[in-house]
Amino acid sequence: MSGMSPSQIRFLALVRREVSRFMKIKRQTLGAPLLETFLYISVFGAALGARIDKLQGVDYVVFIVPGLIMMAWATNAFANNSSSILQQKMERAIDDQLSSPASPAQLMMAFALGGFIRGAVVAAITTGVALLLIDLPVEHVLVLIPALALVGMFFAQLGVFIGVRAEQFDDVAVAQTFLLQPLIFLGGVFYSAELLPEPWSTITHFNPVYYMIDLVRYGFLGTSETNVAASLAILTAIVGALTLLNLHRFRVGTHLRS
Amino acid sequence: MVFAPDPAEDGPPPTGPADVPALQATDVAKRYPTGVEALRGVSLRIEAGGFLGLLGPNGAGKSTLISCITGLARPTAGSIEVFGHDALGHDPEARIAVGLAPQDINLDWFLTVEETLDFHGGYFGMPKRERRARTEELLEAFSLTDKRDQRTRTLSGGMKRRVVLARALMHRPRLLILDEPTAGVDVELRLELWHAVQQINAEGTAILLTTHYLEEAEQLCDRIAFIDGGRIVGEGTSAELAAAHGVETLEDAYLSLVGRHELSRQGGILGAATAAGLDPEELRRARAAGARDEAADGTGR
Repeated sequence: MSGMSPSQIRFLALVRREVSRFMKIKRQTLGAPLLETFLYISVFGAALGARIDKLQGVDYVVFIVPGLIMMAWATNAFANNSSSILQQKMERAIDDQLSSPASPAQLMMAFALGGFIRGAVVAAITTGVALLLIDLPVEHVLVLIPALALVGMFFAQLGVFIGVRAEQFDDVAVAQTFLLQPLIFLGGVFYSAELLPEPWSTITHFNPVYYMIDLVRYGFLGTSETNVAASLAILTAIVGALTLLNLHRFRVGTHLRS
Repeated sequence: MVFAPDPAEDGPPPTGPADVPALQATDVAKRYPTGVEALRGVSLRIEAGGFLGLLGPNGAGKSTLISCITGLARPTAGSIEVFGHDALGHDPEARIAVGLAPQDINLDWFLTVEETLDFHGGYFGMPKRERRARTEELLEAFSLTDKRDQRTRTLSGGMKRRVVLARALMHRPRLLILDEPTAGVDVELRLELWHAVQQINAEGTAILLTTHYLEEAEQLCDRIAFIDGGRIVGEGTSAELAAAHGVETLEDAYLSLVGRHELSRQGGILGAATAAGLDPEELRRARAAGARDEAADGTGR
């Protein structure tokens, strides 16, 4: 006899389906990001890092690792959800979920959590690899955990948004290549915005990912270029707004129901 | 009782008086953003345990109506109730009561046959133990047991069709919707599916079947509705429909309703005469005389 209500069983099944999908292709979904992180740390840390001065009081390789962990969570959360939803839309397999008694909120959150969990797993593996290779401090765990969770949920919800809207894989690839990657790379994963000449330093402050990276870096290294409390508050508000927008789209059925 | 709804296992059944129909669609209209009016005031009723065949040409509105019933499309007007529950809102009881086997195979490529059934049961709130038992029943009933660990994308077309039907039955729906279930399947599988569908209906599940095969509808359904241009243009038993149009077969009644009398296998004349309000024999004689005249003056082709 299960102790769960039908509604809980439904939600769990929806989340399990999303997790099952990325676990079935784990060489691609978990293995590739692991290799990617190893290469970043090797190239930027070992090869280039030796020729770069300390940044924010730490070795260059230590400086970039928080950004790499955040990047791993963000890109995987986004890629998982956008691809999973689009693939199911193209097969019309998503009709099985859409015609079920699951509520719009359950459907939306289950899709979001699929990518969120994949991002968390990849970020955990990335952190594990980094800990094996370098001495990585964790200065403010109470900021780090909510910061990473908020960043993960932001990109998971962004993946849901793009996946629902997309009609072909090109739409997802365009968003990933021309929106996500530039925002992340220009957000300061590999450098400090304070080192940039004007106007680039100022322009960087308009990039929301800059604040996300800075939050995560603060959690690990204890140093920050921005107001931590304000960044957390604004990030929470943005995640809330994006979640509500996605919920509205699932309720109305835009791009999901004809 | 492999196919029958089993409220005892699923918890309390959806409530409602015994005479509540399985499906009551009233004045359902659907206009797509492109301006296409797929449904223009469709009203349809299926009694609990009934078996209705919905026939119509391509683009008549059959699949759109099914999408509206299952929540996959939003009607622009009208109401749809499934066992008395509003199917247009997010009433879980309306969803739980319906099982859908769509026209196009829409199986999840990433899942095995067993997972397909198990996840579907989960989406419908079935506890694990019940899902496991039901999966075994359906794998056995549809001869899928030895394919249980196979990914759905690697199955043959016929096997995929079986999985789609098994999935639709997984949560023991009280209204089963079959959208052209035998399109493109071989004779053997078609007969197997007919047998299964008859058994499902005999065990108390109401069925809405769309098909292009008139003999399929005649063989299986209690009642038949014709849909054309987004409207229900005729409804009754096969005999009633034929009689109402002064023809002998369901096929001719169908052709008459969709305005294609000339395609009648009864000679075309019968349908044409009926449509024109003429005596078929008189028209046949007139055509024969015309053909002789054409042959005589050399204009016959």
